[in-house]
Amino acid sequence: MKLLRHIFLFGSLGTLAMACGAGGDDQGTEYAPNMYHSVAYEPYTQITDPEAGAWLTSIEYSESEMPGHAEFYNSNTLNAAVMNVNMNMRTPPANTVPRNKQGWLPYRLPKDSLEIGAKRKSPLDSTAQVLADGKVLYESYCQHCHGAKGAGDGKVADKYAGIANLKGDAYKNITEGHIFHVITHGKGLMWAHGSQISPEDRWKIAKYVKALQK
Amino acid sequence: MTLDSRFALLAPKTDARPDMTKLNLIAASKLGLLSLLFSLVCSIAVAQDIPTDAASISAGEALFTANCKTCHKVHQKLVGPALADVYNRAPSIDWIKSFIKNSQAVIASGDDYAVKLYNEYNKTQMTAFTSFKDEQIMQLLAYIKAETDKGPAPAPPIDPNGKVVADGGANTGIPSSYLNAIVIGLVLILVLLVVILGFLVSALKRFLDTKELSDDDREQVDSPITLNSIVKSSGFTFIVVFLVGAIGFKALINGLYSIGVQQGYAPKQPIAFSHKIHAGQYEIECKYCHTGVLKGKSATIPSVNICMNCHNQIKEGALYGTAELSKITEAYEKNIPVQWVRIHNLPDLAYFNHAQHVNVGGIECQTCHGPIQEMEVVQQYSLLTMGWCIDCHRKTDVNAKGNAYYDKLVELHNKSSKSAMKVEDIGGLECAKCHY
Repeated sequence: MKLLRHIFLFGSLGTLAMACGAGGDDQGTEYAPNMYHSVAYEPYTQITDPEAGAWLTSIEYSESEMPGHAEFYNSNTLNAAVMNVNMNMRTPPANTVPRNKQGWLPYRLPKDSLEIGAKRKSPLDSTAQVLADGKVLYESYCQHCHGAKGAGDGKVADKYAGIANLKGDAYKNITEGHIFHVITHGKGLMWAHGSQISPEDRWKIAKYVKALQK
Repeated sequence: MTLDSRFALLAPKTDARPDMTKLNLIAASKLGLLSLLFSLVCSIAVAQDIPTDAASISAGEALFTANCKTCHKVHQKLVGPALADVYNRAPSIDWIKSFIKNSQAVIASGDDYAVKLYNEYNKTQMTAFTSFKDEQIMQLLAYIKAETDKGPAPAPPIDPNGKVVADGGANTGIPSSYLNAIVIGLVLILVLLVVILGFLVSALKRFLDTKELSDDDREQVDSPITLNSIVKSSGFTFIVVFLVGAIGFKALINGLYSIGVQQGYAPKQPIAFSHKIHAGQYEIECKYCHTGVLKGKSATIPSVNICMNCHNQIKEGALYGTAELSKITEAYEKNIPVQWVRIHNLPDLAYFNHAQHVNVGGIECQTCHGPIQEMEVVQQYSLLTMGWCIDCHRKTDVNAKGNAYYDKLVELHNKSSKSAMKVEDIGGLECAKCHY
């Protein structure tokens, strides 16, 4: 009987302790969760308490517009529009213009102004460094469709029809401004990549593509 | 031909003037025959304009692969129409020439055929190939005609497994057949030992039988070995208690150490996204979607518009058909962010920056995140404990090459040491590097 009790004791303790580990959908046991989870909001954390920030009295919301929620929750307009998203990232204030490190203003030509965009000159010089950066960027953002040599034979081209062969006759004479505009807004079957690639990086890619075409 | 059938249909209804109908019928059939003949002659004439020599065909093929193949196939509709028989279908060869050179202008001119085509293909503009010469277009047509005459190629046999990259987790160690042989050998040896021991026991018993023994000893020798006697023996109890105790203790310690360590956490995501397909099979760079990895603290989770860059067209997945992909389209159309479940969760008390490690340090994603390109469902691969961080900081050389920031540090380090500069040598173990 003593033996059985021993077996039972160690077995159950072992199983109990094993349940602390993570796996599958189970996150495992957290030690001191208040040290794990930031009190301050990080970009992707969701607002757990819609009432938080009620002490901020500078902004007054009408009860009919935003019923029962406080500043943090209301600062993202999507939260009011879609249920249960609870994003904490804020929408930029109206009429503000972002500038990057170089002080460049955003590219404001609309999608249909390709001809004007094509006339723009690259602000970068064709140095070896710019081309090397362009190559790395091309490999990250373009290669899987347009292929390592720009021949439109990347792996994704098997699935996604209509990928341009950058070495084809129709694209031989395009300018860097044209490439910049197309990366920003997309063209034909290619969708806009402006949200993924910064303006400076787009110019670098344009330089590299022109080098590829030679 | 349509003319004929129309008249044939009309005929029974106009029985008031049978003679006229008959006459009409004859006239119509003649007309039909004539038009058929005419079109036949025409198509032959047009087709004859297209060169058939091998040189033109191969030149055309090269042009086709370089410029057309992404949107057109000869026997199959892709982005644009299938091109088989196009030289008979289109209004004229000259029309084809002007359409290829500048389709936009042809459509703008209000040409019926061009406008119809434009609308049929979702108003997708064909790229203008202004640099094409007339003879190049004829070479293209030569290739298309050769392919048309050949007929569609039979479908290639489909590999049931798809393109699965065979990688050897199993191949790295001892082959499993060897392992099996070793195990079988060991079992055989054990069985042999038991048999030998059995012989020894019976031999000893026979030897003792011949001797004079006291009653107690006699009882001992004669008592049979039963399961009961084995279970009740103190040796057996000790072994069992020791084994259970040791295994239980090990499980307990392991379990306690796993508190707060989420290695192996692989939550179900709102959309069953497969890194194995995206990063593995199609070799899409991690950075294409995780755009922040070179620039900021967080590698960032792609927003839906990045998914849509490909999935505006690819609506059917290899694993779940349209079931999972329709969720992306819905999220995009309704402008609802997808609520992915966070997997890697570093404690708030430690600071980690992706840009410093990936951009400056040049660390591969896989070093910490494991073979992501093979994961159907992503799981936390590394421990993410402080010991794990420190271990790497002790072992890793600083990626100082071509980075002027490190020049003086390397110089100083080389004065006092001959080994390469590790992260720990430039303060990689200092508390305040990560905890502040």
